[in-house]
Amino acid sequence: MIRTLTNRSFQKNKDRNLVAALAIFLTTMMFTTLFTLTQSMGQNITEMYLRQSGTMAHASTKQITDAQIEQIAAHPDVVSFGKSLVAGIAENERLAGRQLEIRYGSDQYAKDSFAYPTTGKMPETKDEIALDTLILERLGVPLELGQTVTLEWQEGPSTFTLCGWWEGNLSVYASMAWVSEAFVLEACDNASAPKEGQILGLRMMGITFSDHKNIDEKVETVLRDCGITDVEFNTNLAYTAEIQYSIFRENLPMYGGMLIVFLAGYFIIYNVFQISVASDIQFYGKLKTLGTTTKQIKKIIYGQGNRLSLIGIPIGLVTGYLLGSVFVPLLIPNTEMELTTSANPIIFIGAAVFAYITVLVSCMLPARLAGKVSPIEALRYTDASDNVRKKRKKTENGASLYGMAWGNLWRNRKRTVMVLCSLTLGLVLMSYFYAKNASFDVEKYLMDLTVADYEIHDTTEKGQAISDTLLADIAALGTVEATGRLYSAEVELTLSEQAKNNLRAFYTDERLKDFASYDPSFPSWKEQFDYVLDGGENTYTVYGVDGLILEAAASDNYILNGSFDTEKFAEGMYCLAIGPSTDPSDTLPTYSVGEKVQIADREFEVMAVVRPLQPMVSGVSQQVFDLPLVIPADIFQEFWPECNPRKFYFDVADETMEDAYRLLTEYQQTKALGMNIVSRQSMAEQYEAETRALAVMGYAISIVIALVGVLNFINSMVTAIISRKREFAIIQSIGMTKRQLCQMLMFEGGYYAGMTLIASYILGTVTVGVIVRAMVEGGFSTFHFTLLPLVCCTLVLVILAVMLPYVCFRNLEKQSIVERLRAE
Amino acid sequence: MSILQTTHLTKQYGKEPNIVKALDDVNISIEQGEFVAVVGTSGSGKSTLLNMLGGLDRPSGGSVKVDNYELGKLSDEDLTIFRRRCIGFIFQNYNLVPVLNVYENIVMPIQLDGKKPDETFIQEVTALLGLEKKLYNMPNTLSGGQQQRVSIARALASKPAIILADEPTGNLDSKTSEEVINLLKVTSQQFHQTIVMITHNPEIAKQADRCIQIEDGRVAN
Repeated sequence: MIRTLTNRSFQKNKDRNLVAALAIFLTTMMFTTLFTLTQSMGQNITEMYLRQSGTMAHASTKQITDAQIEQIAAHPDVVSFGKSLVAGIAENERLAGRQLEIRYGSDQYAKDSFAYPTTGKMPETKDEIALDTLILERLGVPLELGQTVTLEWQEGPSTFTLCGWWEGNLSVYASMAWVSEAFVLEACDNASAPKEGQILGLRMMGITFSDHKNIDEKVETVLRDCGITDVEFNTNLAYTAEIQYSIFRENLPMYGGMLIVFLAGYFIIYNVFQISVASDIQFYGKLKTLGTTTKQIKKIIYGQGNRLSLIGIPIGLVTGYLLGSVFVPLLIPNTEMELTTSANPIIFIGAAVFAYITVLVSCMLPARLAGKVSPIEALRYTDASDNVRKKRKKTENGASLYGMAWGNLWRNRKRTVMVLCSLTLGLVLMSYFYAKNASFDVEKYLMDLTVADYEIHDTTEKGQAISDTLLADIAALGTVEATGRLYSAEVELTLSEQAKNNLRAFYTDERLKDFASYDPSFPSWKEQFDYVLDGGENTYTVYGVDGLILEAAASDNYILNGSFDTEKFAEGMYCLAIGPSTDPSDTLPTYSVGEKVQIADREFEVMAVVRPLQPMVSGVSQQVFDLPLVIPADIFQEFWPECNPRKFYFDVADETMEDAYRLLTEYQQTKALGMNIVSRQSMAEQYEAETRALAVMGYAISIVIALVGVLNFINSMVTAIISRKREFAIIQSIGMTKRQLCQMLMFEGGYYAGMTLIASYILGTVTVGVIVRAMVEGGFSTFHFTLLPLVCCTLVLVILAVMLPYVCFRNLEKQSIVERLRAE
Repeated sequence: MSILQTTHLTKQYGKEPNIVKALDDVNISIEQGEFVAVVGTSGSGKSTLLNMLGGLDRPSGGSVKVDNYELGKLSDEDLTIFRRRCIGFIFQNYNLVPVLNVYENIVMPIQLDGKKPDETFIQEVTALLGLEKKLYNMPNTLSGGQQQRVSIARALASKPAIILADEPTGNLDSKTSEEVINLLKVTSQQFHQTIVMITHNPEIAKQADRCIQIEDGRVAN
């Protein structure tokens, strides 16, 4: 009987079902998308680290004996193991820059190392070898089984026949050349362990457990059970707690998103059911009169929720998964690795369970409402909550349309507030994300990385300087708009008392301890530090700069103390001191402003202390302990006329950007392979890729919330109109024209839009003006006040607020007044 | 002079072969200032007749003429305007607008018409109906009898050609019913107001000047 009632009541509410199923579908879709993203993120990040560590095995060791391998392999906890025997490193000239390890590996070991032949097989006889495509390409060997491959290594050249290959991947730190066990054993004369300091004959092992939790403990257990003490296993980097935690952190916004989706889904589904129950309350009252128990009535409502879930959830799962797979590449900017969208069943089970829980929770209150209704009350129940309403309204303005509309708006206070809140939340969040993204200042970000269209830094030329020919070629482009030179030299100096005092004040014990904890070069630094403080002479870097690089290095953002005057500086009597990159404190660990420093045979006055600018200092100084100084490039040339610039910076006209790039790359390829070219354009592209993921996620979340707000708005508007069908018929029967009714409804929509917009503008202004401003302070951001998304949404919202009532009204009109009057 | 006249009025619902004749060749004529009761058992067609007279529904055949308006010839929009100017409705369940107070409910039809209510007349009516002290109350704070008095006041306020009352006492106890009928009678006399009232209660029908009996969609004599 209850089932029949559930069915009938389900069939009766076609409109409601549509909205509810849609809501469930959307909720499921969003859950699935988020689950897909979290799973895929986790999987891809893990994969990334797995490749970095070069193996998929849970734990591996780089030194073990054959007997121990057998012992460990036999342990019940070890699900699979791989074994490898190292021969050596290939030394072919053509392989320069890519490490190729010649080894024997068991099938499992090869698979774990992302290096199992996809074509052909693993080597079996002494003359067989399997390699990856990257190496074959470098060696110039065609992709064909049976080809001859010769490798140079410590035991001389060895020639093999290619028996298999696989797709090479640069994200794995080294390539493998698999050879047969027999080959390695012969090379090391069947020794069971390598000779001291040699890698020939080294045994390695990777083991895998049933799952990747607590690998350290599992390894310990295995070793203890086997009685092995002299072997050390390393847990795979990808499975260490730190990496797993970082995956969790990457996924945090996703978990936040899930919470929001849950709330949003709850709002809609709850609303739909609440309204449906309220309008059917007489029906439930009758059922109760006829002896239906509270439990049975609840069952009817949950039954309908179940039916709707049955429709909405599967569709949502499919679309959500598809949507997720679209988003994955956007979220993970790494393009070197092939990204996979996880198809873990957890995604589907998790999303379905979450969505279903949302439905159940949403049905809870309406079910209780229907369940506890008393038959008599039910007859008098109206959707509006009467008890909180005002008793008297002192006005003689009479019945204006907008007054009625305003009154109607507050008939269900809770619902109205909820709709207003969700719409406002969506809009404010959207403004927040937009303003935050808009505040990222590409220029500032780039300034820290590059100061010009092109920066060249030649590390191959003798003396690490840029050749005159290249400089001439660049000048010959004819479109160079601005240039900058950077020279550097090492100078022997003894520090002044003032500078020493500054150092002592800055490097407190606490700071030193902190420094020691993270910097491995600390001991040698400390040694020089102490030596210098004792009055010792040390080598310091002196930069000679002009043009673009000087402007950037001495720009306001970078000045820590003092002030910079371009003209005075050019006179050649002043220098700049480079301080710490960290936040300025009371004293800076370098010279004081105004102090005199002797460089070559001239005395310079310190004009300002500046922060180190990356394009200036990176890759130049070799000093562990350094207090760099900056002087004008012309003066520098006077001192050291034989020096060529270390770095050269230049801007070119936009139309010759390509020409300049071609010139530089050509020079790089033909004459200076080690020359480093930094182009502003490529930096900007890199920046885009880095920030895109965040932006996409932020917008996605705010769009979802705004969408929920809109859905809620539509839902509450539609139900408010449908549930007042009869009331409208009455007003029409006593003389309200269709036009007036339509106007009244539009007023109601307008009020919604108006209030939402007022709240959004106020909160948006506060959020953007205060919160975003505070958040983007410093860093690579320049605060811009913008409410652009809000302005865009204003129009959409107003149109929606006017159109929606109109459409509903047209729908309403299909029924005649008499029909609506009768409908109870 | 007759203010309302129906000639060969017919209303059918449904299609062949399941035609239900709700009204069948009804010819009635009501004079200005008359208080007429339409009686009949449930399903006899009296509500359909009232809907026809009030311009809420259109006849299938014949014509309805109210205050020289031929209702069948009016457009939907004109019908609405006709209703708010010429017809006052009193419903069984009062049908007050819940978001408006008593005064606003009373003047609503007039204001919807874009006119100023005749304040002295409204005062007179509300005084007669005993609503002076309840003008700013919201409908949900009133008793059934009070609500029905508000709807009578609303019907009277625009000085319509006819007031159509559909079972005005249907939801009220007998003492309140009597009061309401008396009020209707008094207003009919005092304002020379034509009232057509539907009821299935012969006792109440007796209070009217004239009784029209409807049976199976026809006027029975």
